[in-house]
Amino acid sequence: MKYLGWDELLPGAILFSFDEEMEKDAAEVLPENRPYAETNSYTAYVGDWRVLKPVYNRDLCIDCQFCWIYCPDVSIISRDKKMIGVDYDHCKGCGICVEVCPTNPKSLLMFEEQVENEKALAQWPEKE
Amino acid sequence: MSEMKKIKNLKEFSTSADRFEGANLLCPGCAHSIIVREILNATNDPLILSASTGCLEVCTAVYPYTSWDASWIHIGFENSSTAIAGAEAMYKTLKRKDRLPESCKGKSPKFVAFGGDGATYDIGFQWISGCFERGHDMMYVCLDNEVYANTGGQRSSATPIGASTTTSPAGRVSYGEKMNKKDMVQIMAAHGSPYVAQVAPNKWKDMIKKIQKGFATEGPVYINAMSACTTEWKFAPDDTIAVSDLAVDSLVFPLYEIENGTKLTITYRPKNKIPVRDYLGAQGRFKHLFKPEYEYLIDEWQKRVDDYWEYLQRREEAGV
Ligand SMILES: Cc1ncc(C[n+]2csc(CCOP(=O)(O)OP(=O)(O)O)c2C)c(N)n1
Ligand code: SF4
Ligand code: SF4
Ligand code: SF4
Ligand SMILES: [Mg+2]
Repeated sequence: MKYLGWDELLPGAILFSFDEEMEKDAAEVLPENRPYAETNSYTAYVGDWRVLKPVYNRDLCIDCQFCWIYCPDVSIISRDKKMIGVDYDHCKGCGICVEVCPTNPKSLLMFEEQVENEKALAQWPEKE
Repeated sequence: MSEMKKIKNLKEFSTSADRFEGANLLCPGCAHSIIVREILNATNDPLILSASTGCLEVCTAVYPYTSWDASWIHIGFENSSTAIAGAEAMYKTLKRKDRLPESCKGKSPKFVAFGGDGATYDIGFQWISGCFERGHDMMYVCLDNEVYANTGGQRSSATPIGASTTTSPAGRVSYGEKMNKKDMVQIMAAHGSPYVAQVAPNKWKDMIKKIQKGFATEGPVYINAMSACTTEWKFAPDDTIAVSDLAVDSLVFPLYEIENGTKLTITYRPKNKIPVRDYLGAQGRFKHLFKPEYEYLIDEWQKRVDDYWEYLQRREEAGV
């Protein structure tokens, strides 16, 4: 895509969220089925903002969805009422999801960005 | 009127398909986006949105990207309200003249304007007031982080007494902001608005109930949304929900609504009321208040909060 300079944009310019019209409003189309345009920030990456990353432990999760509602960055992926993982392209590593997770031990914990998820899961703490 | 989206519990709510996208440039832990997600997800109807200049607008429309999956108008600092009022007026006229495009027929779009406290309490105030006087069918949401955050933290008329900001700095000769916070909720109720409410993102159920009530209301609706700002309130980004809990449980931000200008209802009563001191102590912007020479301000603050809670309860009881 060729980007115009900021001084070449005319007032009234439009940025499109999708490449084509959808049959339904986006409110009824899950992200995986949306024709995202290159100009939608969904296609962008902010994973490099993180120092720490949240790691998800499915075995402990009770699918309460607190992490889903309070994630500011739409980075908790929930489908069919189940939490299924973290979107590491959009997660900024704020740690809110870990703070609000009610299980003991938590089903989400922050680890250094470079630690592999399998290793993180292997060193999960015991119940307090 | 379209059917209201059914949101019985959080599990059901989590099946929503967000119309707000990540990889925007809001700070990690910013409450603005939590509020926006809750509001947008409260309905499946088409949305026509606008935002006043401030963190939300600037960070969700960084060229060449947009973070909005609905019609969204990028406009000046003062006029997100009038931009949305204009869109609403045009929609009404086209509908009346039966000139709506086929794809827009039979739908009930919701018109929502977002503005920060700077845009709402100060700079866009007369525009909002005009919209409410004219009675547009719209919702205005103030993202109240009590400071001009996007330009580096200047005080606004929503900044509370004692907060240290870049234009009301605390130091040897000052305890920070000297003026009391403007009561915007009451001012908007005094416009005779059919529905005004104060909300907080940590109380998501209360939020959804009020937003859906607002969407179902015809006429101009005002929502004052407490938005804890990790950068300017100075707390760690993972504490956004914890600080918001302290704000509502200390009653610094009481949750209530006012219908038709007068009928006031308290919508949340904390089981364990927390001292205001605990709320203040969690934020760097109030750090100096804990010095012996300024501690009297904390007592004054507690009294202000108690008095206001008394006042809200008396009004609720009297039904006026
Ligand atoms: C008329 C006008 N004056 C000043 C500015 C500069 N400006 C841009 S954003 C901003 C602060 C916004 O504060 P607020 O409305 O509280 O929103 P927040 O960033 O805190 O969410 C200011 C002063 C502007 N864009 N337009
Ligand atoms: S760390 Fe923050 S951005 Fe990342 S998934 Fe958790 S709440 Fe969302
Ligand atoms: S907050 Fe914890 S328990 Fe609840 S859904 Fe998220 S990971 Fe699972
Ligand atoms: S400065 Fe505050 S309001 Fe602005 S993006 Fe950061 S946390 Fe959000
Ligand atoms: Mg502000």
